[in-house]
Amino acid sequence: MADSSDISPVSSARRIALKAGLKLGALAGGAGLVGAGQVSAAATPDPLITEVQDWNRYLGDGVDANPYGKPSVHESDAVRRTVSWLTADNKSSINFTPLHKLDGIITPNGLCFERHHGGVADIAPGDHRLMINGLVETPLVFTMEDLERFPRESHVYFLECAANSGMEWRGAQLNGCQFTHGMVHNVMYTGVKLKHLLAEAGVSPRGKWLLPEGADPSHMTRSIPIDKAMDDCMVVFRMNGEALRPEQGYPLRLVVPGWEGNMWVKWLRRLEIGDQPWHHREETSKYTDLLADGTARRFTWTMDVKSIITNPSPQSPIRHGRGRTVLTGLAWSGHGTVKRVDVSIDGGRNWSTARLDGPTLAKSLHRFYYEFDWDGSELFLQSRAIDEQRQVQPTKDALRAERGVNSIYHNNGIQTWHIRPDGSAENVEVS
Amino acid sequence: MLMSSTAGHAAGNVDAGRKLFGQCAACHAVGKTAGHQFGPMLNGVMERPAASADGYSYSDALKQAAQNGLVWDEPSLDAFLESPMTYVVGTKMAFAGMRDEAQRQDMIAFLQQIDSSGSGATATVEPPAANSLVSESSAPEAQRPLARDTTVPEHGVLHLGRLALPEEVAAWDIDIRPDGLGLPTGSGSVETGGQIYDAQCAVCHGVFGEGAGRWPVLAGGFDTLSDERPEKTIGSYWPYVSTVYDYVRRAMPFGNARSLSDDDVYALTAYLLYLNDQVSEDFTLSTDNFASITLPNVDNFIADDRMEEVHYASREEPCMQDCIPGEATVTQRARVLDVTPDNGDDDNAGGGID
Repeated sequence: MADSSDISPVSSARRIALKAGLKLGALAGGAGLVGAGQVSAAATPDPLITEVQDWNRYLGDGVDANPYGKPSVHESDAVRRTVSWLTADNKSSINFTPLHKLDGIITPNGLCFERHHGGVADIAPGDHRLMINGLVETPLVFTMEDLERFPRESHVYFLECAANSGMEWRGAQLNGCQFTHGMVHNVMYTGVKLKHLLAEAGVSPRGKWLLPEGADPSHMTRSIPIDKAMDDCMVVFRMNGEALRPEQGYPLRLVVPGWEGNMWVKWLRRLEIGDQPWHHREETSKYTDLLADGTARRFTWTMDVKSIITNPSPQSPIRHGRGRTVLTGLAWSGHGTVKRVDVSIDGGRNWSTARLDGPTLAKSLHRFYYEFDWDGSELFLQSRAIDEQRQVQPTKDALRAERGVNSIYHNNGIQTWHIRPDGSAENVEVS
Repeated sequence: MLMSSTAGHAAGNVDAGRKLFGQCAACHAVGKTAGHQFGPMLNGVMERPAASADGYSYSDALKQAAQNGLVWDEPSLDAFLESPMTYVVGTKMAFAGMRDEAQRQDMIAFLQQIDSSGSGATATVEPPAANSLVSESSAPEAQRPLARDTTVPEHGVLHLGRLALPEEVAAWDIDIRPDGLGLPTGSGSVETGGQIYDAQCAVCHGVFGEGAGRWPVLAGGFDTLSDERPEKTIGSYWPYVSTVYDYVRRAMPFGNARSLSDDDVYALTAYLLYLNDQVSEDFTLSTDNFASITLPNVDNFIADDRMEEVHYASREEPCMQDCIPGEATVTQRARVLDVTPDNGDDDNAGGGID
């Protein structure tokens, strides 16, 4: 098959196009030399325009070639990736959202980073149960069908792992925003407010804490104050319109807006009401923030104001040479909306306010852009978010001065990318 | 596709073996994307010489056995699985062994039908016919009776859900609090705990709780919390012994959760306290003396006071111009540390996500 197509006229036209494309690329690199008022022209006509291409002539796939559609084959590098040395094995492990491949504010379901503590549980929805017990008037069991009879709501929320950027406490380590900041995703969830479920069981006045529990082999548990549970927590079964993905807790997960991802228990099977916190493993041994003096903060739930420039970045260098350049990134805060994002291209000496684009939703990712003319000199890119409570994203050094370098969690410091004159980018720290 | 569970293979049941493999999956991988983990990848292990998978660092003991002609076939694998550490003295595989012959046969049948490409590792599921308008999976749902409840519940606001039976609550409500709420009646000694630990825990956590590979360290690390590289263990860091009991009971052993009896968990908790110098070797932990155990680091946890940190508390309008004198100079580069996965040098990095 490959041999016969190799001698077809279409294929040879393609080869010419490829060669010409290389030449054009070289020319484009020098486009900045063209004087003001002039429009640059190609030396020869572009065969991609003058020749009829395969996709102009031959019919493509019909409908239903992919009953569940997939991304273009040309987007095969837009995938989650893991860093194997971070964890002991792949059943209790983590991978990262390719932030540099995305735009807007919504994360596609298949690219939402994964964090499991006992692998992905495979649960048929008909076999799933949600129990409410503890300090309630009536301990209850719900089926998935029961849950769909409650009033539903949809909300967009970011989910960030408390350990996102945790590898950077001691200094620049991983070269790419996927790895430094990719333990975050942003999804529209559909489900039921937790307060409606708890109202069915009738929470005792003594009930001050909620313990959600998962059905996977880790039986994940966290203690959540009842006020948060009654405020904006949800039990959800859909993400971005479709059923939860298995790796995101299918068929049911907890949503705890603005708070660390570990609390968003997946494969949710039980909600217990109590009068004290449980101090379970994920809120004592883990997810407590060790300070320099040996004491540790506990119950550090909220994800503080944070931002990251996703492009350009080490995995997404500037390829077009000098001239008009689009810088973009994401900002978020567990305290509410982001009010402003500032961008510096000189390592924090001078700042310009970026343009926030798209919906500005509380506890959701925000998209920002900053467009500028690059003169081809080296840059030190930084972004700084400010949230609705006027909290300003701190520098990494400010965080280290307060906490030391062994906190693991809640590193929301300002990230620096070094852009070299050739457009390549690197994770650095600057004085 | 039409793979028989038994034809031409060991007498065991492939599907049963696949389930049992959950116990092994903490250390071994099978399947098309499997690689070596703590233990070697096991695709195509049957009929291959011992210690022969490329790229895995075997124990000297297993390499010696291979030189003496050990090949993995039904009899040898059966004997190894029954008691790895006596069949190959000095093996790294610190697994206590599978006493049940039928289980070993199931496991062998499962491993036997996985070829070197990893095919056969996962259960084959027939995909639904792509063109049928009514998918097969939706048909049974449509045929289900629409109204199954004949009684109208009166609880709550919307009267949804049903009463949880006491047996159901008891089956799932296994959590323990520091004040002992939820603790089952029972007891277990350090000695018994040591036996269970050696058989089921030491393979990952090390014989003395020192941790193997990147698995959690459980013991030691006292007075290191303000060091450059703190060691956070049950003894040095965890505030409450109830957390040990709760976590072991709900999630351990990794790959075989909820398999331990309440007394087993008492014994393991006692042994972990012993490994951390909190009790003597003749100690027995029980419902009655549980509350008397306090861990050394209990008073070193503080409330979340991030908002009192200078950079947040000042609420200063951030500087926009000439904020730092001089030009930016690089103080640290990612490539110097060379730990990005792209760079192919993944194994010697610092830091972690815990």
